Amino acid sequence: MLVLRRKIGQVIQINDDIRIIIQDVQNEHIVRIGIEAPANIPVHRLEIYNLIQQENKSAGGAGALNWLKGASHDGSASDENSDET
Amino acid sequence: MAAPAMKTAMKPEKRENEAFHFPQGLAGFSDAKEFGFIYQGHGDIVCIQSIDHPEASFLLTPWDEKRLGPTPSLPQELCKCIHIEDQTKIMWMLVLNPFADKDWVTANLKAPIALNAEARLGLQSIRPDIDLADIRYHWMPQPQIKS
Repeated sequence: MLVLRRKIGQVIQINDDIRIIIQDVQNEHIVRIGIEAPANIPVHRLEIYNLIQQENKSAGGAGALNWLKGASHDGSASDENSDET
Repeated sequence: MAAPAMKTAMKPEKRENEAFHFPQGLAGFSDAKEFGFIYQGHGDIVCIQSIDHPEASFLLTPWDEKRLGPTPSLPQELCKCIHIEDQTKIMWMLVLNPFADKDWVTANLKAPIALNAEARLGLQSIRPDIDLADIRYHWMPQPQIKS
């Protein structure tokens, strides 16, 4: 991992189009940073992104379509996918 | 809010006019960018399935303003990503999870899907203002299996 020391107001440039700006350091533990990136580059807090990723993997997958097929027949859900998480 | 045009085909087909392009993919499925819509006749639930990675498929249902209040707002930079200038043109969908709870089909209010139906573009927007517990909002009871 590349580790850099930066002061408030200084910038880290990634590629041609991503900039990370150190905005503020609060009580030695919290760093406020600004991120400039193209709209097609998703930027998220890691812990939140990981939760969404896990939820998508739980909800998605081949079982989703099978569940829908089962639920569409006579109003019943197919139980063949009910153990998928 | 009307659901996007739905197909009855079992497998999504690569048709330029019908596939939705997700420039960012979905969290955990970032390589899946082209999705076909499959409708199986179950209420307003539709399945989107990746054309290139068929293992990536999700159940979606339209945002319900009567239950949930107004639709979310999409940050300006993400509007650009799906070529939206007028936020009222966004079709908001919720990702359903029928596998998380034995009694309930849950809906992810934290990360709904924003669609530009006209341009066939979509993205998953992670909302900063929503409690994490709403990742699994109880949406509807599990369909009962007939005995």
